[in-house]
Amino acid sequence: MQQLVWSAERDIERVVDTYGHMLFRICLVILCNEQDAEDVVQDTIIKYLTKSPTFNDSEHEKAWLITITTNRCKNMRRYNFIRKHMDISNLQLYCQDEENYGLLDDLMKLPDKHKFVLLLHYVEGYKVDEIAKILSITSSAVKKRLQRGRELIRNRYEKETEYGLR
Amino acid sequence: MDFDKMKHAVKSIEMSKEMENRVKANCKNAGMKKSKQIHYKSWISVACAFGIVLLMIIGIPYFNNSGDLQVANFTITAYADLNDDSQLHTNLSAEKATFELGTEDRLDNIGGVATRDRMDTLGGVGGDGPNYIFTNVKLKLTGEEIESITYTMNKGKFIEDVILTVEEANNKDQLVLDKIYIMLREPGSDIYQGIKEIGNTYTVPYNEQDQYEYTLAIPHDDWVVEDDIILSAIVNYTDGNSEQQDIIVMQESNSISLALK
Repeated sequence: MQQLVWSAERDIERVVDTYGHMLFRICLVILCNEQDAEDVVQDTIIKYLTKSPTFNDSEHEKAWLITITTNRCKNMRRYNFIRKHMDISNLQLYCQDEENYGLLDDLMKLPDKHKFVLLLHYVEGYKVDEIAKILSITSSAVKKRLQRGRELIRNRYEKETEYGLR
Repeated sequence: MDFDKMKHAVKSIEMSKEMENRVKANCKNAGMKKSKQIHYKSWISVACAFGIVLLMIIGIPYFNNSGDLQVANFTITAYADLNDDSQLHTNLSAEKATFELGTEDRLDNIGGVATRDRMDTLGGVGGDGPNYIFTNVKLKLTGEEIESITYTMNKGKFIEDVILTVEEANNKDQLVLDKIYIMLREPGSDIYQGIKEIGNTYTVPYNEQDQYEYTLAIPHDDWVVEDDIILSAIVNYTDGNSEQQDIIVMQESNSISLALK
C-alpha cells in the first residue's frame, strides 16, 4: 500500500515536471484564464493517475496528455458562458518575453479550433496527421484550420502594426 | 508574420512555482483519496444485486406456494355448490375463480350456480333497484390470529337461501321483516325456498364462517354484469389490526370471475 502511494507520488512529480508547463500553456492560451488552466492541468494529471494508461513511449504519453487536456478545455469552454480573456497585464506574469505579448494576445483571441491547431503545430511541433489524431478530426480539417488560423492572426497582426499598436 | 516568434512567446509561458507545487499537492491528495476511496461505480452493480436478493428475501412471505403474489396474510377461497352436492372451489390468492352463470338447463334448478328463473319471476331483491344474478358463490377466508371478517360489496348484495314452511311462507309481515322477498316451491311440495337479503355488508366471526352460507347476488342489466363490482374482505386480527383485500367481480361470456385486485 505504502509502495503504491510512493509510486503515485513519484508519478505526479515526474508528470508535472515533464509536462506541467506544456499543458499549462496550452490551457492558458485556450482558456485565457489562469484558474481554469490550473484546474484543467490538475484534472488531467489526476486522470492520468487514476486511469494509469500504458504508453509505447514518451511521445505517446505526451500526445495522450494533450488529448485529455484539449478535451477538458473544450468542455470547460462549453460551460463558461462568458468567454474570459486574460488582460495583457496579467499575461505578463506568465509570458517571460515582453516583446511578444501582443502576438500572444492575438493568438488567444482566435477561435478555439484555430488556436488548437496553431498551438500544436507551431508551438508543440506536431505534424498535420498527428494533430488530426490528437483532436480526432481529419487531416484536411487540420490543414484548413491551420490555413484559416494563420490568415486570422496575420490579419490581426498587420492591422495592429498598421495602426501603430505595436 | 513570424510564427517562430509566436512559438517563442507561447513557450515562454510557465506555471509559477507556487502553482506547480499546488498542482502537485492537490494531485497527491486526490491520489490518496482515490486509493482510499470506494469505487462507487464498480460497487453499483454489487449493490443492485444485493438489493434484489434482499428484496427477494423480504418478498418471500408475500408469495404463495404457486409463486403468485400474496398481498395479504390470509387466503380467500371462493366456493360454489354444484348440482351433484360437490363443491367447486378456487383459492383466489393463487388464481382467478371462474363460475359459470345459469344456463337454460338450469332454469328450474335452484341449486345451480345461478338461477335465471328466480330472477325472471321475482325480479330484484327488495323490490326496487337493479336486477340480480343470484349465484351460489360464497367466500371463505383462512388465516391466523383472525377474529372476524367483514365482507362488503360496492354493488350487489349478499343473500342467504332459506327454507320455509307453508305457515312461514304465508306470514307476509314476518317475511318483509326478515327481508325474504323471493319464494319458490317445487310442484307438489309444501316446502318453500326463499332468498333472504343480508345486505351489502356483513361481519362473520372467523371460527363461525361455516355457519354463514351467504352467497353473492350480482347486479346486471339485461344479463350483462355491471362494471367495477368490488368485493372487499376486511380482516380484523386479534391484536386489533386489520387488513383489507379487494376482489374484482367480472363477467366473462357466460360466467363470472372473481380475482384479487
